Amino acid sequence: MIGSTLAILGVLVAIFAAVAVKDVLVSRRKQMRYNLKNCLVSYGMMMPAVVLTFIFVLLPIIYSLGYAFTNFYLLKPNDIDFNGVDNFKQIFESIRSKGDMYHAICNTSVFVVCVVPLQIGLALGLALFVNRQKAGVGIFKVCYFAPVVISLTITAYLWLQILSPSEYGLLNSFLKLFGVAPKDFLRDPDRAMLWIVVLSAWQGCGYQMLIFLSGLTNIRKELYEAAALDGANVWQQFLHITCPGLRSTFLFVVITVFVGACRVMIQPMLMTGYQSHTVTLSYYMYVQGYSYRWVGYSSAVALLMTIVIGSITLLQRRLLREKD
Amino acid sequence: MENVNVQNQQKLEEKRLHDRAQRGKIIRSTVYYVCGTLLAVLFLFPLVYMLATSTKNESAYAADAGSLMMFLPDFKNLSAAADNYGKVFTDYGIWKYALNSVLYAAVIIVLNIVINGLAGYVMAKFEFPGKGFFSFIILFLIVVPVETSIIPLYSIVKVLLGLKGTSSVLAVILPSSISIFNIFLFIQFFEGIPKEYEEAARIDGAGSLRIFFSMILPLSKPIVATVATFCFIGAWNDYLWPTMVLPYAEEGAWPLYPIQSALTSIQSIQGITTGEIMASLVVTSIPIFIVYVVAQKYIVQGFGSAGLKM
Repeated sequence: MIGSTLAILGVLVAIFAAVAVKDVLVSRRKQMRYNLKNCLVSYGMMMPAVVLTFIFVLLPIIYSLGYAFTNFYLLKPNDIDFNGVDNFKQIFESIRSKGDMYHAICNTSVFVVCVVPLQIGLALGLALFVNRQKAGVGIFKVCYFAPVVISLTITAYLWLQILSPSEYGLLNSFLKLFGVAPKDFLRDPDRAMLWIVVLSAWQGCGYQMLIFLSGLTNIRKELYEAAALDGANVWQQFLHITCPGLRSTFLFVVITVFVGACRVMIQPMLMTGYQSHTVTLSYYMYVQGYSYRWVGYSSAVALLMTIVIGSITLLQRRLLREKD
Repeated sequence: MENVNVQNQQKLEEKRLHDRAQRGKIIRSTVYYVCGTLLAVLFLFPLVYMLATSTKNESAYAADAGSLMMFLPDFKNLSAAADNYGKVFTDYGIWKYALNSVLYAAVIIVLNIVINGLAGYVMAKFEFPGKGFFSFIILFLIVVPVETSIIPLYSIVKVLLGLKGTSSVLAVILPSSISIFNIFLFIQFFEGIPKEYEEAARIDGAGSLRIFFSMILPLSKPIVATVATFCFIGAWNDYLWPTMVLPYAEEGAWPLYPIQSALTSIQSIQGITTGEIMASLVVTSIPIFIVYVVAQKYIVQGFGSAGLKM
C-alpha cells in the first residue's frame, strides 16, 4: 500500500512539475518573470489543502479504481494481489443466482424510479403553490421546509416509531380504528421500500422546493403580464413561460435528486438492517467493504455504480439540454 | 329623470359585478389557505408527533393510541416530560455526545475556513508556475461525483491512523476539514475583492499570511459565515463516517461518539421507552433548528451558490 501510494504521488508530482516548467518557459518568452518569494509563499499556503486533498480525496478515488481489480482484504493490508476481473465475475454470479447483489439492484431501482418523480413533483408543486404574494405564505414555506432541517438519522428513527409494528404505533393505531389488524410495515417485502420512498420524499422535497422557488423568482414578471394581455390562460402561461424558464433549475434538481437517490443507504440501514427486501447498492457496498472487510470486491461494486450513475447523469444532461 | 335611472342601473350592475369578483376572490383565497394548511399538516405531523410523544410515559403513550391526543403533549402529567428529558440527559448522557458534536464541529469549521480559505486566496490572487494543474484538479473534483469512495477512504484512514483510542478523533476531523467546493466558493468570492486593498497593505509591510487573516477574511464575512454554517450542519448531522471510524465507548470512559452516532446506541438500550427515544430525537434536532433560524440569510446564500456547482 505504501509503495502504490508513493507511485501515485510520484506521477502527480511529475505532472505538476511538467506544468510548472512549461509555465516558467512561457513566462521567460513573454519577458514576464515570476516573483520567487511570491511563488514560495503561494506553495506554502497551498500546502495544507494540497496534502489533505491528496490523502483524503484523490487517493480514495484512485484507489477505488485500483482496488476493484484486486483481492484486497482489509485484515491483510500487505497482501494485495491483482486478480483481474474476478470481482466483476463474482458480482455477475451474484446477480445471476439472485443473490444479494440482485436484490440490491432491484431495491435501488424501485427506490429511484419512485422517489425521483415523487420528490421532484412535490417540490415543484409546492414551489408553484407558495410562489405568490399573499399574507402567510412565509409560514407555509417554513412548514414545508421543516423536515429538511432534521437529519436522516432522526428521520429514520422517527419514522421507525410512526411505522412501529406494535398496536400503539401511530399508523397502526389509526388503522385499528378502521378495524385493520396491526401490520409490520417495514418487514413487508413488497411495500417496505415504498415506505422508505415516502419518508425520504417527505424529508427531502422542501430543499428542492427552495431551489425551484429561486428559479421561479428569476423568471421576469413582465413575461407573464405580456402573456396575460395576449389572452394566455394560466395553463398556457405555465407551459410556455414557467417551463422554459425553469429548465436549467430542473436539470440541476433532477440530477442531484437522482444521484442522491442512487446512493440511498442510511434509511434501510437504520430502519430494517441488512434485509434482502430493503438492501440497496450503497448499503451492499458498505457491508461488503466495512463489515466483511472485502475492500476489493466492494470497490468493484462502487466502480460499477459510478459508471452507471455517471452515464445516466450524462444522458439526462443531454436529453434536457437538447430541447433548446 | 330617465338619465338618472340609467345611471343608477349602471352603478347597480357594476356593484353586482364587483361583489361577484370579490366573492370569487374570497372563495379562491379560502381554498388556497385550506389547501396550504392541509399540506402543512402533512409535513408537520411527524414532527408534532415526535414532540408530543417525548412528553409521555409509557402508559400515557399507550392510552393515547388511536386518538388525536397522540399529537398533543401530556398536560395532565408534566412530570413525565421532565422524567424523559432528565433520563436522556443524565442516565443516557446525551449532553456528552452533544458536547462532542459541538467540539468536532468547531474544529472542523476553523480548519475548513483556514485551510480552504488559504488555498482559495492563493488561487484567486497569486500567479505561480503550475497553477493550471491545481485549477484542473479543482474543476475535475467538482464535476466528478465521488461519494462512492468511502470504503477506500476508510482503508486509507485505517492504515494511516490505526483507529485505536483517541487518535481516531483525527479520522473524524481531518477528512471533513478539506472541501473542494468550499475552496471553489472562496476563490469566487476573493476574486471580487479589489487588488488595491492588498497592495496598500503590502506597501505597509504586511506579509501574505497577515493580509489573509487580518484583511481578506474580515472582508469576506458573508462567505465565511456561509461556509461555517454549512460545516456546522454537515458536522452535526454526520452519522455514517463517525460511526465507522470511532470505537465504542468503554465503560466509565468519556465517549467519543458524536450525537447522531450516539442515537443508535441509545435506541438499543434495554427497556428504553418510546417517550425517551422521542426526547433524545428532539434534543438532537433542536440545535440544528436554532442554526437554521439564526443563520437563515447565509443558508439562502449557500443555496444560491449550490447552483454554481453545475
